[in-house]
This record gives sequence, structure tokens and C-alpha cells, in this order.
Amino acid sequence: MLIAERPWDWQHADEAQRKEYFDAHHAFERYVDRHGRCHSSAALSDADVATTVRHQGDRAVVTDGPFAELSEQLSGYYDVELPDLDTAIAAATLLPAAYTLEIRTVVGVEGYESA
Amino acid sequence: MTAVAVLAAVVRQEWGRLTSLLLAHFRRLDLVEDALADAVETATTRWPRDGVPDNPAGWLHTAARRRVLDRLRAEMMAQRKMPLLLIDAEHRSTATTFADPDDQVEDDLLRLVLMCTHPALDPAAASALTLRLVLGVSTADIARLFLVPEPTMAARLTRAKKKIVTAGIPFAVPSADALPERLQVLAQTAYLAFTAGYAPGSGPDVVRTALAAEAIRLVRVVLELRRGEPVLVALLALMLLQHSRRDARVDDAGAVVLLPDQDRSRWRQDEVAEGVALLSSPALTGPIPVLAAGYAVQARIAAEHATAASAEATDWSRVVRHYDDLLVLAPTPSARLARAVAVAEADGPLAGLDAMAGLDDALPRSHRLPAVRAALLERAGERDAARAAYGLALQRCGNDAEAADLRRRRDALG
Repeated sequence: MLIAERPWDWQHADEAQRKEYFDAHHAFERYVDRHGRCHSSAALSDADVATTVRHQGDRAVVTDGPFAELSEQLSGYYDVELPDLDTAIAAATLLPAAYTLEIRTVVGVEGYESA
Repeated sequence: MTAVAVLAAVVRQEWGRLTSLLLAHFRRLDLVEDALADAVETATTRWPRDGVPDNPAGWLHTAARRRVLDRLRAEMMAQRKMPLLLIDAEHRSTATTFADPDDQVEDDLLRLVLMCTHPALDPAAASALTLRLVLGVSTADIARLFLVPEPTMAARLTRAKKKIVTAGIPFAVPSADALPERLQVLAQTAYLAFTAGYAPGSGPDVVRTALAAEAIRLVRVVLELRRGEPVLVALLALMLLQHSRRDARVDDAGAVVLLPDQDRSRWRQDEVAEGVALLSSPALTGPIPVLAAGYAVQARIAAEHATAASAEATDWSRVVRHYDDLLVLAPTPSARLARAVAVAEADGPLAGLDAMAGLDDALPRSHRLPAVRAALLERAGERDAARAAYGLALQRCGNDAEAADLRRRRDALG
């Protein structure tokens, strides 16, 4: 579950609003625990301090900023195990209303083995 | 009936049930559809030779089931896995069979329909997929109905199926509180297929009405499973009332005939009667969801036309009141324009022109708006203004048949 939001929404949230965010995350986590499990999760630093690395020819070019300039930026993720898309959508709706959530499944890459 | 005709009828009637039954058992969308297609292929050669089996649908189910098991066995050999899953699938005693007359089969069919119309799917792809998996329409025919090349449609269906499998779209009926919303998405999917059939300039009329007929069949199938669901009752009424005019919509030369000029004896009175009866059914009395109410109001507008003995006998003041209701539910510019046309019929062209005030900002590129204004100005005797309005409509019109009609009407002003 990838979380996208406008950075200033959180920065400008007052104490009561921040509590609403925390409550929403708690509701999400409880729901996930009831229907599956959470493998890992993290909040990410703001996109304006992101660093992007691109291969150009035989060298790596490092630039300041995220890989796509959008009004919403990736700000965190949950790696959760849930039975199906409907359960994942129900879980996503519990997260703060300011978020846009992208749901992706984790797939195995054929032929790849960890080093 | 010949064996081939029986087979075609079974495929048409039972494809969705067969698909859902196999899917409930194996949960492998990729295998199930191919296996069923193979079973039909085999039947095509075997039934004419050996005779039609006593239980044709049961025969197809058994044949398709064997195909899936063969494929699973091959997969497991390839992966060198112990065929535990396979044994489980072969011996599962609770498995539903096609002979089961109980609700389980119907529940599985509803699961299939809801999976195909899941909101996480692209709406156009969802309608195509529903025609394929629930109604058993072949990919070639779906491509023809949606006016795209067959490989394009095949790719679109493959992508939709991949999304279902990869994203984990469930083969399940959602909880009671989520179900009405999902049925609304289903209704929108069916209506999308229906209106795609009637999009102007979209292929020969036979093809267009065939797609609309399939969309109606879909709603009937689901309504069997969810009797009295308001959104489905209202949508079926709307579709039937619009579809009842199909034989009068084009003349012998293939040109579109507008409502006032249609030969009303060619309207299908049985469908009109069914649509009108649905509108007074208990499902649509009392508070109903906005989408259902919107379909019902549009159906009532269609019913006013369908039950008027002639164009002149139309009760336009009632049509205007229905549009007033519609604007409360869905205040779209095109509904306001349609209301203005009804106002003009009820109270004269000047009243209609008044009712169009403010629409230009909302419909800056529409050719319909200046075309309607031109016709009303013409009726009000404002020939110069009418000529200018026809000119603007012509500039904006992208449809050849409609442009020809606008030019003819402008030139007739002299």
C-alpha cells in the first residue's frame, strides 16, 4: 500500500489534526491485524529532500528531488498481507482522508534468487 | 433443433453459470475460460456425430472440468511439485456440480458478475469482460460490437483478466453494506455497454442493437439473482423503453429518424409495456438511491414518448416536470438542454429559448446547443438569427450525417 499526499497537509496540521492522523493509522493497523498481517511500514522523508539516481550511458547521474514532480508525493508505505483486493480497499479507506492510496500486489520475479 | 443450435443455445444461456461454477471450484480464471472454450469446441464436432447429451450443460461442465484438471496436472509436473492440490481438487466432496439446483450455483454467478464489474477495472474493459465471461459472447463478436479489431479486444480482455488475478480482485459477494454500491457499478457497466450500442455513427444498426440487447440480457440475468434491486429495475425499464424504438430509429436508407418523425407502429409494444410496468413496481416506490432515481426519471421521460399515440399527443408539460426532477438529481448541461427542448414543445419556442439561458458557458463546444437554438429561432420566425446559429452548429459538428442534416435545414431557410 503506497501512500501519496501533499506534503504541506501534514506540515500544516495542528495538534488535533495530527491526532486524527494517528487515530486513522491505528484503525488501519487494527483492521490489518484482524484480516491479515503487516510485514513492515514506514513514513518517508519529504520528497523535496529526495535524491534521484539515473543511469545515463555508463555513468550514474544523481539529481536532487523525486523522480516525478507531482502535487502528491510518495510519503510512506505499508507492506501488508491481506486476502484480496476488497479487504485491501476496505483497509485503505481507514487511512487519513488526505491520503491517496495505491494498492499493488507483491510478485515473485521468475528466475530471480536473492544474492 | 440441430445439435449445433442446441449447443449455441446452451452456451448463450449457461456460459456464465458454467464459468462461475468452475471458478468457484478451481479459482483459476486463466484456465477456466480456455477449458470451457475447448469443451465447446469439442462439442461442436461430437454432438452432431454422437447426438446431443441428455444434460448438455452438465456435459460441457464435465468436459471443461477435465480440461482444467489436465492443465493443473501438467503444471504440477512442470514444477515437479507433489500433486497434493490436484488430489484435493479431484476429491473435494463439497464441490458443487451443475446438477445442484440450489442457491449455490446462483451465488457463484453473482460472484462472477461482481468480479467482472469490479470498480478497480477499467469500465470499458469491465463491460467487455462481462459480455465474455457472463454472457458467453465470443471475443470476435465483442470486438465487432465495440467496433475495435479483434486483436485489440483480445488484448483488452487479457489485460482485464490479468488485473483480476494479479491485483487479487475477489470472486466473492461483498458484505451487505457494500453490495448496493457494487450493484450500482454493475448497472453503470451494463448501461455503458448499452449506450455504446447506440452511440451515433457507430457502425451498422444491426450491430448496435445487438450490443444493446446483450446489455439488457445482462441486467435480466442479474435481476434474476437480485430480484427487486431498485437500480436494476430502473435501469431495465430505461433500457427497454429506449430499445423498443430500435426499428424506427433508422429509415430504409440507413439515415437516423428523429423521435417526432418515427413510425410509432414499429415500436415494440411488448417492451414498452414491460418498461412501463417496471416503473410502477414496488421496487421503485419510496426512497431509492440517486443513481436508481436518475435511471427511473429518464425511463419515465422515455415512457411519456412511448405511450403517446402520436408526437402531437405527447404530454410535454409532464415531460418538463420529469426533467425538473432529473435536474434535481443530476443537474448536467445536457439535461438542461433536453429540458429546454421539452419547454419549447410545451410553451412555445420563445419559452424554450429562455430556458437555454446560461447554457453557452456550460457547453462551449457542443453543436447540439446551437442546433437546438437554430431550430427554435426558426420556429419563432427569426430567420437571420437561425441561419447564424445553424452556421455555428455546422462549425462544431463532427458527424457527417448530422452535418448534412444541419446544412439542409440552414439552406432551406433561403
